[in-house]
Amino acid sequence: MNEFDFLSRITLGQYFPTDSVIHRRDPRVKIAGFTLMILFITFSTSKIGLAIAILTLLAGIMLSKVKVTFALKGLLPPLPWLVIIAIIQVFFITGPSGTPALLTLGKLNITMVGVWAGIMLLIRFTALILCISLASFTISTTEMIQGLGLLLKPLNKLGLQTSDLVMVVQVMLRFIPFMAQTAERIAKAQASRGGNWSNKTRNVVTRIKQVVPLLIPLFVISLRRAENMALAMDARAYGYMPQRTSYYEFRLRWSDVLFFFICATISLAIFSV
Amino acid sequence: MPPLIQFDRVTYRHPGSTETTPPALNDITLTINRGEWVALLGANGSGKTTLARHCNALVLPTTGKVLIDGKDTSTEKLLPQIRSQVGMVFQNPEDQMVATLIQEDTAFGPENLGIPSAEIRARVTSSLDTVEMSQYAHRPPHLLSAGQMQRVALAGVLAMQPECIIFDESTAMLDPRGRMEVMDQMRQLHDKGFTVIFITHFMEEAARADRAVVLNNGMLSFDGSPADLFADIPLLTRCGLEQPLTLQIMIAIRTLNPALAHLSDNFEQAVRDIPLYSGEFYVAEPARRSNGAEALISIEHLDHTYLPNTPLAQRALEDVSLTVTAGKAHGFVGATGSGKSTLLQHLNGLYRPQSGTIRVGPYNFSDDALDVKALRRFAGLVFQNPEIYFFEQYVGDEIAYGPKLLYGRDGLKERVKNAMALVGLDFETFKDRITFTLSGGEKRKVALAATLAIQPRLLILDEPTAGLDPVSRHNLHATLKKFKANGIDLILSSHSMGDITQLTQNMTIMSGGRSLRTGNTAALFNDADLINQASLGQPAVVRLASAFRAKGWPVPVSTMSNGQLLAALRKCSGASAHE
Repeated sequence: MNEFDFLSRITLGQYFPTDSVIHRRDPRVKIAGFTLMILFITFSTSKIGLAIAILTLLAGIMLSKVKVTFALKGLLPPLPWLVIIAIIQVFFITGPSGTPALLTLGKLNITMVGVWAGIMLLIRFTALILCISLASFTISTTEMIQGLGLLLKPLNKLGLQTSDLVMVVQVMLRFIPFMAQTAERIAKAQASRGGNWSNKTRNVVTRIKQVVPLLIPLFVISLRRAENMALAMDARAYGYMPQRTSYYEFRLRWSDVLFFFICATISLAIFSV
Repeated sequence: MPPLIQFDRVTYRHPGSTETTPPALNDITLTINRGEWVALLGANGSGKTTLARHCNALVLPTTGKVLIDGKDTSTEKLLPQIRSQVGMVFQNPEDQMVATLIQEDTAFGPENLGIPSAEIRARVTSSLDTVEMSQYAHRPPHLLSAGQMQRVALAGVLAMQPECIIFDESTAMLDPRGRMEVMDQMRQLHDKGFTVIFITHFMEEAARADRAVVLNNGMLSFDGSPADLFADIPLLTRCGLEQPLTLQIMIAIRTLNPALAHLSDNFEQAVRDIPLYSGEFYVAEPARRSNGAEALISIEHLDHTYLPNTPLAQRALEDVSLTVTAGKAHGFVGATGSGKSTLLQHLNGLYRPQSGTIRVGPYNFSDDALDVKALRRFAGLVFQNPEIYFFEQYVGDEIAYGPKLLYGRDGLKERVKNAMALVGLDFETFKDRITFTLSGGEKRKVALAATLAIQPRLLILDEPTAGLDPVSRHNLHATLKKFKANGIDLILSSHSMGDITQLTQNMTIMSGGRSLRTGNTAALFNDADLINQASLGQPAVVRLASAFRAKGWPVPVSTMSNGQLLAALRKCSGASAHE
């Protein structure tokens, strides 16, 4: 890995245009369905429920025509952290006093309650990561923006400008890769003039001194670019009509309703079994 | 029907500027009619962009009036109409892309105008067809080349069904192929009856328009046909412009020899009309010396892939092999995305070879003990548009950044002073100037000095003249030519074939990440097939010289500048030609 490959360090969701049954669903039901599942996975206390979650998500990934092994690879990077947190859980959740200890290490008691808490945490995060991966495999940024716009539309009645909000999200998504690229170019230009990037020192003052030559141009360039983009949007008459129209027209079909119904059923099962 | 665009005594001052500073636009009165093709010219900072932005109410006049189809631009409720009537394509292709997919970006304007979905889709399809980008409709913008992005930006404007389209230096950041594509689009739009206004620093492009409008320090200096403009040398000089290179040479050639006096100003026509030569034949070629000069850089089988082992992996260099000879300035040419920048960034160790070998001077990149710091002192790299990376307030501090890190404070002042002298900036006058207040050409010189201050033996430049006006470009050429006398070797990449012919002896042609050919610059430029294969254009002088050779004129293959061609033709002037 090159010291300047900043872009590769930003892992945003990866969309796979495989055009599966799930891909073809209306963005609104996809966003709502996956959000529901994420909520219920987070708050479920049921072991069987979480097992159901993992199984249905694996089935969903197969349906989406994305390789299951690829989805499972996504679990690897956060795994060490999850294991550490799980171990902490094992040591610090001891259950109500009087729970029989399985093992005593010095002052720390390990109880069955703690072990289960650790295991549950691992399973819960596995389910969450799978769910988020499946969502990002099947919802493109475009669908995300359009879907959000439509889902938030009712808020317009409360006087919130939701279309502006959605535009902010859209422009932000355009800016993320750009900022990474710019930071990379600045770092290289600085390194060419003797700036030191490979040396990771712990000295805070040195680190700050390293970062200032990066931050100033990054701000200047980003602001200039934001200004240019605002100008380009202005030139294309953005914001002068009270109501924008859309390139896309979304109509809910029965299959979309069915998809949402399935998501809701699974979510309920996760929570209450 | 009122005229399309009418400026009535328009003066514009930047907000916050005082009465004493000259206004950005000064008392401009101008009418542009439907169907005209207008080139808007002037040096950097002459007010071209400000004028253009008045045409669709992005900027409102301080005094005076701008009327678009009779509508006053200061009336806010007319803005949607005015902006759909006059569209604008900007300089930086990326900055104009608002949406995450091409089709949505094209739809952005009509969406803003509140047009129904079905109509929007029809407009998007037809606009993308017009610019020949339909097959990319579902792609995200960052996967397109700069030239393609400019065409998409144009489609976005067309979807609003304008009468007039303004191109604000839309070709400045493109490679020769992209530039030609955009110029051809303009021509086609003009033929279809659109009003086209464009700002450019390339005089060859300006010569294609029907009408030229020249600004100088915010004032209207000329309004008439490009032919009249380019005939008035004093005016051009006053406004910081120049004749198109092709015209300069045609004029000079006509006076040389009566047999050539009938050649047209039109370059293509002139190339066809060159008469057969029947004069005395002599050997014009100097015997080429092929002494085994020392290799400064040698690269063998270099590969580079960005983001390897990810779904975004992208091959940038493939089996690149070449040699750069010491003491000979070396150029890299190729279309956007051909791998030039990636290759240059290998030369000072920003990238290490993923496979293959690189040797730069005494440094072997495969060596584990490679001293990167010493390498960067040896090979200084100046990025494209280096001035955007400035972070210090004062010129002196900016230049001192590198040497301070690499050599410490001892003799720092001398190093900065020497570097500034090399680029022709006076130390006392400039060291305490604030970097952001310098002109474009001065900033570029400061950026050069900032790298020269680390006293490299080899100076690597990525697109050194991009975005400079003609005068600053000539200035920079002169500066770079001086370096050789100071023992600095030059390596540069450029989209401007003029840079390459002026500054280099050898070059490497890149295409699709591969090194197509390395050799003598003149010899390679004469190989029309090769140049075509790399999506480049032959420099006008080279084309003209080879056209003369084809008719039997003894013009040497090494001809790369107007001066050389004229010198060769002058030697033939005693001879007569077939009529």
